Amino acid sequence: MVKFLSEEWIEYAKNYILEKLDPEKDMKSITTSILCIIENVPPNDETINLYIELKNGKLNDLQVSIGEISDGKEAVFVIRGNYGTYKDILEGKLGTAMALLKNRLKLKGSRMEILKIIKPIDGLIESLRKVTDEFEK
Amino acid sequence: MKTTKVLTFKKKVLENVIDIAEKGTHCGMCRIDFLGTGLCPSGKKHGFLAYWPQGRMELVKHLKDGRIKPTEKLIDIANSCNLCGICDKQCNFVTQLRPEKVASALKEYVNCLDKSEYETVPDDEIIKGLREIVGEEWATNDPIIIASYIRSIIPIDAELNFYIVLPENTEQVSKIIKFANKNNLPFLPRAGGTALSIATPTVLSKAINLDHGIIIDLIRLKKLEIHPENSSAVVGAGITSFELQKAAYKHKLRANVAEAGAHYCANIATTGIITTWGNKYGCFADNFIDLEIVDNEGTIKNHHDIDIPNPYTTDNTFSNISLSPSYIITKATAKLFPVFDDEEAVLVPFDNLKDALDMVLELGKRGIGLSVAVLSYKYLAEFICPTRKIANDFEDICKNYMKLRYVVDVICDKDDKKIVEEMAEYTIDQPFMKTLILGSPKLASLKDSEFMKILSEEENPLKAIFAGPMKKHFEKGLDASPEQMSKVYDKDLQDFFKKIYSKSEMTNVVWLHAFRILPSRLMRQQMTMGPGGAVWASDKKHILKWVDMFADVGNKYKLNHALGFISPFDNGKFVYIEYDYFYDHNNPDIANKISTTLLETTEKSLVLGQIFTLINYLFKGIHRKEHVLYPLPKALSKEEQIMFRDVLHSLLGEFEEW
Repeated sequence: MVKFLSEEWIEYAKNYILEKLDPEKDMKSITTSILCIIENVPPNDETINLYIELKNGKLNDLQVSIGEISDGKEAVFVIRGNYGTYKDILEGKLGTAMALLKNRLKLKGSRMEILKIIKPIDGLIESLRKVTDEFEK
Repeated sequence: MKTTKVLTFKKKVLENVIDIAEKGTHCGMCRIDFLGTGLCPSGKKHGFLAYWPQGRMELVKHLKDGRIKPTEKLIDIANSCNLCGICDKQCNFVTQLRPEKVASALKEYVNCLDKSEYETVPDDEIIKGLREIVGEEWATNDPIIIASYIRSIIPIDAELNFYIVLPENTEQVSKIIKFANKNNLPFLPRAGGTALSIATPTVLSKAINLDHGIIIDLIRLKKLEIHPENSSAVVGAGITSFELQKAAYKHKLRANVAEAGAHYCANIATTGIITTWGNKYGCFADNFIDLEIVDNEGTIKNHHDIDIPNPYTTDNTFSNISLSPSYIITKATAKLFPVFDDEEAVLVPFDNLKDALDMVLELGKRGIGLSVAVLSYKYLAEFICPTRKIANDFEDICKNYMKLRYVVDVICDKDDKKIVEEMAEYTIDQPFMKTLILGSPKLASLKDSEFMKILSEEENPLKAIFAGPMKKHFEKGLDASPEQMSKVYDKDLQDFFKKIYSKSEMTNVVWLHAFRILPSRLMRQQMTMGPGGAVWASDKKHILKWVDMFADVGNKYKLNHALGFISPFDNGKFVYIEYDYFYDHNNPDIANKISTTLLETTEKSLVLGQIFTLINYLFKGIHRKEHVLYPLPKALSKEEQIMFRDVLHSLLGEFEEW
């Protein structure tokens, strides 16, 4: 069982994205970075940061860190939301665009720019979904 | 053998009333006292939707389908109804339905149930936590109560994994949101629920509704204070447009409000209260002086707070779509306006839209009239006719015999009335409108009559009816009286409706415009979807092209459709247009067509450009119109059109392309 945001999950996610996603075809050669700030993570109500960086459609970096940080100075997009929302997304119950437009995720960065790359982002989420089969309760 | 008989009987009890239940559309009119009957005692006492007529109709559907199993709460819900008949009177005025039969069937059904058939609902930590905030009585996880919210905040096919909570004040709303966040549960406020019910049968269902989590029903936030000294009102989130208007009118003041059953605060949040009074009273943030809000973190704020980020501004590009409110408005300080003694209604009939539009734009620019709009024959018929059948025949007569396709509908003082009358060759005044309202059954019966054939052969049937020699005969022939009107209702309700139609306000066009009880008839036993939006008033060709586009798409999918209204705003600088499609909400094939129509007309509107579509309008009502509408977005480029489709796919998954 691979638990969302665990050390093992990071490795699985990196490998899966690098192996399965075609930088040009699936990821449209995008260069961007996204910092997901995940709040209210059980059991201790922690905040965990997930940083993903893509260069020309290829995964360049994927990191997880604990605790509040100043709103991701270096990320192009900072997306804040609670653990339940991220869980719903990874379980396929909620789309990323839907979560953004329903205010379940708060975006810092251009709404227009993130919607332009929503297709590759959906592909990325789909990959993370494939390697995640356990969540905190 | 006995068991089989009981089972068959139970099933039959619900089957007998399912036709009524399925026709319910959650118009919400059973939750306001618009006929002076008083309110449903059960709903008033318990609050939860299941205790109101509309909620009972919804849960009967799901009991009959076997989607929900009885719980002990069902006994309480069934027995709380004393069969007083208020709901039949209210619902019959709007929809011609008899919800009391549903309540009665529910009682019978409960009486047949054996104790062993009731499921128990265990408490969990979430419900315990919510009850600590609002009290034992006002939070529930009972599926029987949850089911009553299906179609008006819960999607039709959702699992019933919800909690319903009825806070009493803003502090409780704040605590609920903090509790929801801590427990990783999504939440959504519910007020009148009409906008949610309109979205539910369509592709917007999952986008607008809540798929699981906490439903915050705001009905108990009932604060309402009128301050005549500064022409304002303090309005809690549980107050409907009708309740606010009624209170304001006692002081000869008027609020700019949406349909009677809509909650005032929720309407600010959803669409910014777009009404035919908007050219004079304003729209978006013009409507209020102050708001008390609770944000998504549960923090209570006021617009008058000095240190909050500018609440009035918003990005107005097409990507700025919101599918839920960015915060909950718990209290608004609303602007009120004077009611004048010499207010009158004057309507100008037209056989074509171009001429009607010319007049309404002129009135808008000159600031003439308090309420100004072009209405189509469809609105006129739906609003004033007491039944669907009469409305259909009335429409036919307007369209095909009288050539009355549009009216410019003006509420104004006597000076402005003179101006309108000078601009028009002939008009319909208040007394004639009273005749049309009370005489609508008789008029509808003249369909295919010799009189109508002769009229339609006139060179100008409108002139012949409204200004020519036929006017007197026509008025007399309609036999317009409360007594005649009452005859269209069920026998046992005729005395009641005779009294209702004898009340002056029921035929007073100014009152009807202010209190807006008639638009609910657009949802009688059917659903309506009204896309549209805002466009500059300066380019008439562009406006007409936009309206034609809605009509073309309606024809393409063989839908029942018509222009709703066109109203000027901001001293006639822009107009708001609503174009309506009508359909059977229980027919998934037609609902799918409506979904495609909605998406297609939105994309086509964006490609036309210089248009602010309904989808962009949603949840922008708290901002200043100057930020929302200036400038209007340019036409989508090819690249942006591809992106628009990508976003739709991301949001909706697979859908039928056009």
